[in-house]
Amino acid sequence: MLEIRNLHVSIGDRPILAGIDLDVKAGEVHAIMGPNGSGKSTLAQVLAGREGYAVTAGSVRYLDRDLVGQDLLALAPEQRARAGIFLAFQYPLEIPGVANVQLLRSALNSVRLQRGESELDAMDFLDTVKSKLALLDMDESFLYRAVNEGFSGGEKKRNEILQMAVLEPRLAILDETDSGLDIDALKTVAHGVNALKHPERAVILVTHYQRLLNYIVPDHVHVLAGGRIVRSGDAGLALELEDRGYGWLIPESGSLEEMRP
Amino acid sequence: MNPTLYRRALEHTIGSPQQMASRKVALERFFTHGLPTPRDEDWKYTALDFLEQMDLHAPHAAEDWASEDYPGIVMRFGNGRLTDADLRSIHAHGLADHADSPLVVRYLGRLADTLPGGAALADINSALWQDGLLLHVPVGWKASPVFVTHYASESDAMLHLRHLVVLEAGTEAVLVEHDQGTPDLPYWHNSVTEIVLGEGARLTHIKLDEDSAAATHTSLTLVGQSRDSRYHALSLLVGGRVARHDTRVNLNGSGAECQLDGLFIADARRHIDQHLHVEHAAPHTTSRQTWRGIATGRGRGIFDSRVVVQPGAQKADAQQSSRNLLLSPHAEIDVKPQLEIHADDVRCSHGATVGQLDEAQVFYLRSRGIAADTARALLLHGFAGEALGLLKNAALSDWLEPHLAAALPLLNKELTT
Repeated sequence: MLEIRNLHVSIGDRPILAGIDLDVKAGEVHAIMGPNGSGKSTLAQVLAGREGYAVTAGSVRYLDRDLVGQDLLALAPEQRARAGIFLAFQYPLEIPGVANVQLLRSALNSVRLQRGESELDAMDFLDTVKSKLALLDMDESFLYRAVNEGFSGGEKKRNEILQMAVLEPRLAILDETDSGLDIDALKTVAHGVNALKHPERAVILVTHYQRLLNYIVPDHVHVLAGGRIVRSGDAGLALELEDRGYGWLIPESGSLEEMRP
Repeated sequence: MNPTLYRRALEHTIGSPQQMASRKVALERFFTHGLPTPRDEDWKYTALDFLEQMDLHAPHAAEDWASEDYPGIVMRFGNGRLTDADLRSIHAHGLADHADSPLVVRYLGRLADTLPGGAALADINSALWQDGLLLHVPVGWKASPVFVTHYASESDAMLHLRHLVVLEAGTEAVLVEHDQGTPDLPYWHNSVTEIVLGEGARLTHIKLDEDSAAATHTSLTLVGQSRDSRYHALSLLVGGRVARHDTRVNLNGSGAECQLDGLFIADARRHIDQHLHVEHAAPHTTSRQTWRGIATGRGRGIFDSRVVVQPGAQKADAQQSSRNLLLSPHAEIDVKPQLEIHADDVRCSHGATVGQLDEAQVFYLRSRGIAADTARALLLHGFAGEALGLLKNAALSDWLEPHLAAALPLLNKELTT
């Protein structure tokens, strides 16, 4: 589904990713772990199409039959979203004056049009959304509040997963979705993600801690350090990291220092 | 200045001998000064002398016209005169028909003719007005919402509308002023609205200016507030080529409260100058201002707000906030918040921002599949729409919403012109 080859990314003159190779197949859950500053969030943002990052080398292929072999990186963020990529933000934006329901409906209808489906009318849309709200244990009043405005940290993260549940992406990238969540909120969010597991859908979990992986069990775990994947393994690797920290995996060379701000 | 044109317009006014005498006095006051020029500190940004290049004249005829449906009592005006009064109206009347009533004699001009330093536009209005609204709510009543809707359809006409609102103690009313005109027709709309709020009276006052893109719109709203009264204004200013809106509120009684909210959109070549002036003249008075602005194309917006806390107005509480979006390199917004405090135990604050749409928010929406243009339009609508939320009145905000949506600039086009 996703093939990342030798991806190099800089912000200004500063290299952040220094040759990432990653294959994600449909139905798989991948965890990308690593210390702060290792480039995890950059990878997530670059896949979603955030501006301000320079891709200096490498390629990303995604669902080549759908995108006719086009490099994902050539697509605008909204085109990627319509092609089924979803990024759950580490810091979801507050958008005063725009109701959650407006965002969800505009987003869903853009995605549906791309998929060759008709736009949903207000009633059908509400039915769809209500079933997803229940999944995340969210009240209907969330729909009529301004997007993330005045939401608690946990509410913002649940709102991200709600958007994901409504849009039903092929590839979901969750950027530090566990950060700032208490254990109950973490379970709710994990439950929402697990409910969306599907043989045609892949999930990339970007996380600093192993904690989330107790609830969403990954098929593959990758450790990112110094802008490269320095180790890959199964779920056991995450447990090992929990015991031993990241130090033993970080390359001895000075490259990491250069990568850090 | 060309006094003849104003004298000729005076001949088109009517009234009792006393009224005619006071019209002449007002006209002479106007002549001592003439139209404001940028030499007047308060008119630094907006010159009106170009008006006298037009073929200014009193309007000839008032045609009736078909207005949209409004959720309330409708008083329809055309070219400065009442053309249709709602039969259900109990408290709203044509001012010209009641010009001799003791109430009008008592209150008309009380605020406008006594402005410190005078006001040329109030003077010319006092001299030349032909009609307007009289809204009088006697003790014990709560008035239905009144929509004063005005349509201008005569080129180069001077339309001096005069409105008088008197809410007696403990009463409540909603007043909506809606101004429109033939698209791209040049005319001069100059209205004065005097509002007297008795003890504990409450008025919600909405202004929707959708005048033609070639029109000049000047308006002066004067409010005198007694003890514990509340005045809440929401102005949606999206019309005219040159617009100037002045609001002056005197909080004369303890516990009086005003909330002045507004949104302006200066797109294309619109020049829109807004002045608010609140006088805290009594203790325990409160004022709130939440103003938003959008400028794009070659539009220019000016927001000048002055709050004065007079000596003795202890425990006054004043907050001013002005948030603005500047969407094109050729647009301009000038914000001048001023606090003048002559008492020591007060709570006053002001804040002003001028910025662009937040690209991080745009990316967030795009990452959900929403096209960049649509994302920006949603954000703009969100920014503007918050002003309607301040009304806390669903019927009124539902009525305003399509007017707001129609006024919002199309970003993808505007940004490149």
